[in-house]
Amino acid sequence: MESKSKFVLCFLLLVLSCCLCHGITSSSSSTTTAMHTNNWAVLVCTSRFWFNYRHMANTLSLYRTVKRLGIPDERIILMLADDMACNARNKYPAQVFNNENHRLNLYGDNVEVDYRGYEVTVENFLRVLTGRHETAVPRSKRLLSDEGSHILLYMTGHGGDEFLKFQDSEELQSHDLADAVKQMKEKRRFKELLIMVDTCQAATLFSQLQSPGVLAIGSSMKGENSYSHHLDADVGVSVIDRFTFYTLAFFERVNMYDNASLGSLFSSYNPNMLMSTAYYRTDLYPRRLEEVPVTNFFGSVMETIHTDSAYKAFAGKYSKKSVLEMPLRQSSQDLRRTLASSDVQYPTTDSNVEDPQDSCRFTQFWSSTHGKTTKVDGLDSWVNYGLFLMFPMVAMTSWLSS
Amino acid sequence: MTTTTTTTTATTTTTTTAKTKPHFWKWAIASIIFRLILIYFPKNLNLATRPEVSTPVTSLRRLAEGYWLTQSSMSPYAGSMYHGSPLLLSVLGPLTMKKIEGQPYHLLCSLVSVIADFISAMLIRATGLKLRMAYCERLKLLGLGKLFEVSEILPSEDIAALVYLWNPFTIVTCVGFNTAPVENLFIILSLYGASTRVAPLAAFGWVIASHLSLYPTILIIPVILLLGNGPDATPKKLLLMYKKDEGGSSSKGRVVNGLTEQKSFSWRPVGLFFVWVFIWTLYTLFMCGIFMRNYGGLSEMFSRTYGFILTVEDLSPNIGVLWYFFAEVFEFFRDFFLIVFHLNILFMILPLAIRLNHRPCFLAFVYMAICSMLKPYPSVGDSALYLALLALFFNELAEMQFSFFLFCGYVGVSLLSPVMHNLWIWRGTGNANFYFATGMAYACFQIILVVESVSAMLNHDRKIRKLVAANIS
Repeated sequence: MESKSKFVLCFLLLVLSCCLCHGITSSSSSTTTAMHTNNWAVLVCTSRFWFNYRHMANTLSLYRTVKRLGIPDERIILMLADDMACNARNKYPAQVFNNENHRLNLYGDNVEVDYRGYEVTVENFLRVLTGRHETAVPRSKRLLSDEGSHILLYMTGHGGDEFLKFQDSEELQSHDLADAVKQMKEKRRFKELLIMVDTCQAATLFSQLQSPGVLAIGSSMKGENSYSHHLDADVGVSVIDRFTFYTLAFFERVNMYDNASLGSLFSSYNPNMLMSTAYYRTDLYPRRLEEVPVTNFFGSVMETIHTDSAYKAFAGKYSKKSVLEMPLRQSSQDLRRTLASSDVQYPTTDSNVEDPQDSCRFTQFWSSTHGKTTKVDGLDSWVNYGLFLMFPMVAMTSWLSS
Repeated sequence: MTTTTTTTTATTTTTTTAKTKPHFWKWAIASIIFRLILIYFPKNLNLATRPEVSTPVTSLRRLAEGYWLTQSSMSPYAGSMYHGSPLLLSVLGPLTMKKIEGQPYHLLCSLVSVIADFISAMLIRATGLKLRMAYCERLKLLGLGKLFEVSEILPSEDIAALVYLWNPFTIVTCVGFNTAPVENLFIILSLYGASTRVAPLAAFGWVIASHLSLYPTILIIPVILLLGNGPDATPKKLLLMYKKDEGGSSSKGRVVNGLTEQKSFSWRPVGLFFVWVFIWTLYTLFMCGIFMRNYGGLSEMFSRTYGFILTVEDLSPNIGVLWYFFAEVFEFFRDFFLIVFHLNILFMILPLAIRLNHRPCFLAFVYMAICSMLKPYPSVGDSALYLALLALFFNELAEMQFSFFLFCGYVGVSLLSPVMHNLWIWRGTGNANFYFATGMAYACFQIILVVESVSAMLNHDRKIRKLVAANIS
């Protein structure tokens, strides 16, 4: 009975400490309980026609960056009108550039467009976000995120006060976007969401958002326009927007192992260079931007968990609870940033809680010797000695009994 | 007068054996040299990739993988490559890693197989000698000594050992990088220990053989019968019949001291055997437990070795009949059919044991042939073993029917099976049915072999009985 009450006390303490940690570390119930599992990117270009070349170049540049930093095609949903590369007015067929030096062909052989042409509609966009597709829609066109996913949502095109124009025929309103995000939150389709909008009056698009775990940045505030960066005289149109240009300039200096933070990204936007104010909204996002690495959204750096045993869940029985390790290399630029892991760590308890009903002497003895033998490492040689000893023993015993 | 005939027959047998001895050793050494030539063959024979030779439980490549996993501090059974014993891993594993410059690949393991083959052949020879001596003794006791003058009793032990050494199946198994020679060695060791009535040796062989692969477990029955009754002989009631009749007529004053040794089943060696089985089992399980202490313990080992064999997890093609069936059976019925297939072996144990209890070594042969037919992952190494055991009974089975048909059948299947495999897998002009047809034909030939050999043996016993009855009357 005494051991039973001890067991109950231990269990209560465990539960209490869990609740305490929970209360300390999480501001809301659902955002930080799940472990960060994967990163998704939804990149939407909402314009068509030749003179909106820069919007497609924006999206493709982001696509390239996101792929370079590690997100695979199966976790990128790319929506483009896709009528630039093979347009009759394109002097460089099947090539899309984002700079007048033409150094980078964005439309290389590794571009996987999920929604193209007339499939880029508001309806399809909202279906992608909420996951409410018809049954025949293939998996590559679905956002198959789970409750641990970080999603990057990038939209570019023509926008205005509380709306975004889709393909010159329909509009996405900020209410619709907020409603879709709310549905996503309820259905636990993301852990953290970064919305990046590069349109005129972009910040109005996410003004109606209320779901926790969402971070949003727009290229301009209400009443301001977003401008293109430069005109490519050879192609004949503007090839990149300013906001995306400076975003890319930031990312070209970043590789997969850098721990540049979102705060540094957001503070790199100079309103004089952008000719607009890049406004971001952090009231729904619990963490400090200086602690969040950009690869949490723009790349896919998987966290490694070191276990002592292979492949199976013997970790629960033999090794202690796993400690998360993150790559901590120095970034090429400024200060050293210590980054906390995005998952909550509960206090480790030894999982070998003794069974109170186990009063059998032999099993106690066996478990204690077992515990001792697991710690002794030289036992492997005993197996070899035992094997070598076996054969002389056999010979001797058979000689004796013959 | 009869004593002089026995001495002359004894001298004739010794002279024949003396004559055949140098021949035997010549052929034995020649087989070793042939194996060494094949091992050092400059071109890669690629025998290890053949499904007939290496199976998921005997393949040396998988053992090397398991050893590498242990070296990387992981369980050898992680990833479902290796399914053998951890003790074999500790012995053969380091040998697979050693690469000697300029020597063929896995040289040391091949040498281990060659040594294992040689020791097995010597043990077969010793067992066969014991059997033949017991056979001759029994015939003499039954007053059939003149049988020696009518037909010569061939030295079956030399024939069996040479059959084992020169059987193409054995050579291919030896050169083909697998652990079957080691398994065969321990089976033969247990039979040798049982026939010479050395209980610890028999127990050791049986425990290790069943530890390495599951099926030699059923050899406990022949081993117990060997230890209790002694080597193969005609049924005891025949002897009692003769003795009863002997007691009646006083004209032949024969010394029947040979009868005193085996009136009844002697329990003492059997008891010792069980004691030693217990000791060796504890020893083996203790060592395996130490080995597997960090990887899940003995239950993990049993589920990955015995469990793998019993649940037929791997369905890659082999010369057996289970893979084809279990590839298409529905999940719902899988357990049922697993039980049916394994019971197929088990229900044949008892009737055969009852019928052939006076011939334990032959019983061992029949059991091995049945296992080789019905086990999930058979290979030609199994047939190497039972064909050698068959040759031990060369004298008794001299009148076996269909022997030529079986010989041609075996040759045909062993030639066609690789061809069909090539047609199916490499050229794509055949399909699985081609290959499975050769597998089924192989099983049919094995069935015919078992049936005909058992009936030949029983006919032989019947003939002896008739001769004894004719002598008496």
